[in-house]
Amino acid sequence: MAVKVFRWKAIAPLLVLLIGLGVLVAIFAEPIARSTTEEAGTELLGTEVDVGKLDLLPRQTSVELGALQVADPFDPRRNLVEAERILVKLNPEALAEKKVVIDNFVLHGMRFGTTRKTAARPATGGGFAAQTLRSVRQWAGRFDVPLLRLTPLDTIKQLVLDPSQLGTVKAAQALASSTDSTRMALQQGFKSLDVESTVDSARALATRLSATDPKTLGLDGTRKAIASVKATLDRLDQTRKRVATVESQVKEGTRLLRTGVEGLDEARRKDYGLARSLLKLPTFSAPEIGNAFFGKVSIDRFQQALYWAELARKYMPPGLLPREHPGPRRLRMAGTNVQFPKEQNWPAFLLQVGQIDFTVDPSAGALGGAYKATVQGLTSAPALYGKPMVVRASRSAAGSAVAGIDVAALVDHVGQTARDSVAARLRGVRLPAFDIPGLPFRLDPGTGSADLTFALRGDQLRGRWGIGSDQVAWALDSARGGGNSLEQIVWRVVSGLKTLDVTAEVSGTVKAPRLAVASNLDRAIAARLEAVVGEEVAKAEALARAKVDSLVDDKVAPVKQRIAAVQAQATERVAGQRVQLDKVEAELQAQLERLTAGLAPGIKLPKIKL
Amino acid sequence: MLAILKLIQSIIKTLHSDGTPGQVAAGIALGSALGLTPLVNAHNLVIFALIVLLNVSFGGGMLGWALFVPLGFIFDPAFDAIGRSLLQAPALRGLWTAWYNTPLMPYTSFNNTVVLGSVVAWLVLAVPIFFAARYGVARYRATVGERVRRSRFYQAVTASKAYNVYRLFRPD
Repeated sequence: MAVKVFRWKAIAPLLVLLIGLGVLVAIFAEPIARSTTEEAGTELLGTEVDVGKLDLLPRQTSVELGALQVADPFDPRRNLVEAERILVKLNPEALAEKKVVIDNFVLHGMRFGTTRKTAARPATGGGFAAQTLRSVRQWAGRFDVPLLRLTPLDTIKQLVLDPSQLGTVKAAQALASSTDSTRMALQQGFKSLDVESTVDSARALATRLSATDPKTLGLDGTRKAIASVKATLDRLDQTRKRVATVESQVKEGTRLLRTGVEGLDEARRKDYGLARSLLKLPTFSAPEIGNAFFGKVSIDRFQQALYWAELARKYMPPGLLPREHPGPRRLRMAGTNVQFPKEQNWPAFLLQVGQIDFTVDPSAGALGGAYKATVQGLTSAPALYGKPMVVRASRSAAGSAVAGIDVAALVDHVGQTARDSVAARLRGVRLPAFDIPGLPFRLDPGTGSADLTFALRGDQLRGRWGIGSDQVAWALDSARGGGNSLEQIVWRVVSGLKTLDVTAEVSGTVKAPRLAVASNLDRAIAARLEAVVGEEVAKAEALARAKVDSLVDDKVAPVKQRIAAVQAQATERVAGQRVQLDKVEAELQAQLERLTAGLAPGIKLPKIKL
Repeated sequence: MLAILKLIQSIIKTLHSDGTPGQVAAGIALGSALGLTPLVNAHNLVIFALIVLLNVSFGGGMLGWALFVPLGFIFDPAFDAIGRSLLQAPALRGLWTAWYNTPLMPYTSFNNTVVLGSVVAWLVLAVPIFFAARYGVARYRATVGERVRRSRFYQAVTASKAYNVYRLFRPD
């Protein structure tokens, strides 16, 4: 009997099952897609992404999102962007390859910086964005932004310094110990030379030969005497070479000790700084004032720019090598998904052109009006797309000189070296108020202008942030009673200023950034403070230096003396041993000449040069 | 509960009389794919359709699934390593690149290390599983099968009405 291969009667139940699956997909696809979009968006951007509504429009191969909110990763109570409706038209061919290529992107009701009803969940976990957020916050901590010290001088009673606090004392102790080690090592070196015994034996030979008449030695005796002179001269030469080795050790040891002495001077300078900080002397250096006033707020801006640049580098990597991403979350092990980009093909994600039109309500003042933004070439594989991503946003209304926004960003990951830059220029915008760190002042710049340029080329960064306003308002924290006398002086200076012009520049590398801040306040405050407390501060600084010197001198001076003694003794000993060797060598050479003259009188043999 | 009962019924009936040992073993070999590889993937839809449409033991398929699910979890790290080595093999990069850029292929998740590793492992093990299962079922029927058939538990299970639904997928 032939065995049946197919079970035809099972086709109908299988079709019913497939239809059932299709119905389930139709019912649950949108909620699942919505929650997946929120989850993936949150994971990608490192901040809470909420989608109020998601409609799949399969016939148009489109997705419509409603009530989208993207929280500000640096301020959980604020939305970075909010959009009422987003219509995304997907490319069906690319979709067949499981790739998201957005042919068209329409966005309505876009708003920036809105207040959230509930604070966003902080980015946690080991996702890349969360890690980047943490590392960018650590990066911000690398800047040394001192607080402005405005302690009145009348509180300086005395300076109490514990010698164990001072780096100079520790350095002196360490140097004393290394001086002893060097001295012992050199002594050991001299001892192993054993120059004295070599010189003594050579001298004894020279003395013995001088008492001998070459004519009585005979030919064999003379030859033996010459051989023993030559052997002794050889030993002298070896000893001389060992002395040269010890001499180089002496030089190296003394060089290290001199470096240690320089370290003592550096440690003392740091101790002066420590003593000065214990006195809490007021700062009136203009750069320090600029850093103290606007350093933190400037770093906040650069930190945000760096965060987005780092995300762009992760999600838009250069090159066409296979890329690995974590697999989907499931009960089983997630594994790793490997993407295999191919030239002349769709990247896994591409937004070819996105146009965003948004309107700022005229009630917002001079900033009200219509704006236009375009995004080109936002892709997961820039090398495939072949062009950098470009973002532009500007006011589209005519005659917008009074107020406006101009933003241009270029993310160029087409080549091997990533180049990211952004330039933003805002005019007539309401600038956010902020507290001055360490002082009871609050600055409200009012309506003014703000500029930001930021460029990251490889690891090199360069950025400039500036704000300007002529409507500045200052507020004093009344809870602190108006501050002390110096704070009141600063308050009188700043409260009279209605204009503000701040420029902050960041440079260097991502690992070693440098910040320089300058403002029109710095010089005004510095000049006023110097006039009032400059003399007193100079006296206090002299007091601090004298106090450090008094604690340090008796520790440093003996070490320096010991180092000088070691250096002098070692040098003198090397020179003395050289002289001894030269002298005994000359005596032996004289005896050699005498002996060789006896062998062949009248014939002058060449001097044996060793 | 009904589903579990049906599954137990199908497994017990499978081992006793439904189909030849070869049909049961083929069902187990196909069902092992459902257990060894991550379930929600396109290839498993094909495997399930084969279990239903081919004249193999459906109960055997379910038995294979149930038996190999724990093994799938246990061997996930090994599947991950196999899949990774295959996906990273320079000689195969051209093939993966072509597949990755072919319509519908990416939906099979072949580019996931665990999916690829487990599918390849199943393809390699399917034939040994078939022969081992065929031998095991034949030995079972020849030894303890008759005693189990006479047990009260077996009588109770096969008497259930739910069993009738399963009969639809009995091998001919």
